[in-house]
Amino acid sequence: MASYATKVKHDIARWREAGLIDDATAGSLSLDVERNAGGQVSFGTVLAMMAAALFSAAILIFVAANWEDFPRLARVGMLFAIILGGYVGGAALKLSGREAAGEAAWIVAAAAFGASIALIAQIYHMSGDEAQAVFVWGAGTALAAAALRSGPLTAGAVLLAGAWMLMRTSSAWWLAGPPLPWLAVAAALYALSFWTRSLLARHLLLLSLYLFVALAYFADESSFAAPLALAAAAALLFAFGRLRPAEAGRLLGLGQELPAQALAGFLAGVGIVQAALVDEPGFVFPTILAFAGIVAALLLEGHDSRALRWFAYAAFAFHLCFLYVVMLGSMMDTAGFFLLAGLSLSALAFLISRFERRIAAAGPANGGSAA
Amino acid sequence: MNGRRWLILAAAAVAVVQIGFLVSMIAGRAAVLRSGQEVVLQVEPVDPRDLLRGDYVTLAYNISRLPVGLFPDRQEEGAQGEGGRTVFVRLKAGEDGVFRPVAARFGQRPEPAAAEGEVDMRGATRSRWSASTQFVSVRYGIERFYVPEGEGREIESDLRERAFRMKVAVGRDGAAQIKSFHDGETMLYAEPLY
Repeated sequence: MASYATKVKHDIARWREAGLIDDATAGSLSLDVERNAGGQVSFGTVLAMMAAALFSAAILIFVAANWEDFPRLARVGMLFAIILGGYVGGAALKLSGREAAGEAAWIVAAAAFGASIALIAQIYHMSGDEAQAVFVWGAGTALAAAALRSGPLTAGAVLLAGAWMLMRTSSAWWLAGPPLPWLAVAAALYALSFWTRSLLARHLLLLSLYLFVALAYFADESSFAAPLALAAAAALLFAFGRLRPAEAGRLLGLGQELPAQALAGFLAGVGIVQAALVDEPGFVFPTILAFAGIVAALLLEGHDSRALRWFAYAAFAFHLCFLYVVMLGSMMDTAGFFLLAGLSLSALAFLISRFERRIAAAGPANGGSAA
Repeated sequence: MNGRRWLILAAAAVAVVQIGFLVSMIAGRAAVLRSGQEVVLQVEPVDPRDLLRGDYVTLAYNISRLPVGLFPDRQEEGAQGEGGRTVFVRLKAGEDGVFRPVAARFGQRPEPAAAEGEVDMRGATRSRWSASTQFVSVRYGIERFYVPEGEGREIESDLRERAFRMKVAVGRDGAAQIKSFHDGETMLYAEPLY
């Protein structure tokens, strides 16, 4: 899959050497390929990132084991060496053309930074603000992402920001509601993701936002303003992506997954209301809204985005089960549930295959195959 | 070639900034250990079920729960906001050498300034006050004692049988740092500077 981008880049280099295109054209063509290949990940990158995750876990667990036979200054020195070697070595790997290995080395270096904070806290028996430690770790990772223009480090910073948000929310004895400064952090990371060209970071940020809204609602439970605002914003996002695709692409940078992401946001917002009203008569309204949203998204954008289609099918099936458990669960026995589930799944399978056939008959659309 | 040098330089700069931050963390702690005022606190066992989590022992002290009366006219202030507000607790040594709280204040040091033999330690409240609050829980950042993997259980059971004491260094800003851990007259553990 990703070999497409690599192949085109090789071709561009060859054309430039052959004198078919000039340097400026070659540069802008390469940039365009990079920009539009954001969603594709090669097998090598996946393996390199998994290796980086394993190394990182090894470093963190090594610190947690608090191994006495090894002087602590030596442990600190070793982590410092990993930080320095990881960043500089990663840069050297990147320059020699091994992109994935370079990014993986940077991830290990960023993990070593976090492990060093944990180790120093351990050496000096510091307790208390773990959330702040994670925040500092995330800030250091974001700084590295900005300086090195690294997409994976940006995604890492987004995950650390999400962890910080969760820790701040649950640090008190009661659910305190997520920290509002996270919104500013998220906006800054969203802006950073354009500089580092990280599509993944933007999608992770939006998913964290849904979590933020859910935490905000369940900490307070007094008004549906936040989840409904999320659903409305997601609907606007969907409309924006449909009516002004070029502007939406430039301003939001969500790629071909924009409709699926918008549907996820809509269902998250409506789903919070559903969960809150589960035992009340009002439950039927958000449920109708959810089904309407799924069907509308499917009819409007289903043709162009396979990611959206499959997400919508899954959401539809999930809602059927959810509805059954809530509405009928108390009335029928288990056998009845299995019978009903079997019948609805067959009906669903029939409908999906018909829908898919119609789309296939209509011919491959732009982006339909690249989900 | 400029782009190549730029990336290596940027990577080195990131490493230097991150390592520099970590070194400043260590230096700050070492400074408190070297020159901070010393106080001795009585270690109190925590709810035994929560005592040991992984590779550290959770500790409480004789100053972890402060009677509301130590906060002069600060009841309304205590009710504001949620937990996590800064407090300064004035400590004074008793006859047995253990320091005990004599006054406390939100946001700043108690008035008048600390006399000879008194130390102001900085902490953070754990919860909001209500009308029925009698004790305020305060954390000082010294509630964990890290031990090598597997050695926690022993200390945990000893803690419930005997009185342990902790010598703590207090920096100029009121930050507390564990210095040494005592079981009666025997010193179990002393913190080297680095």
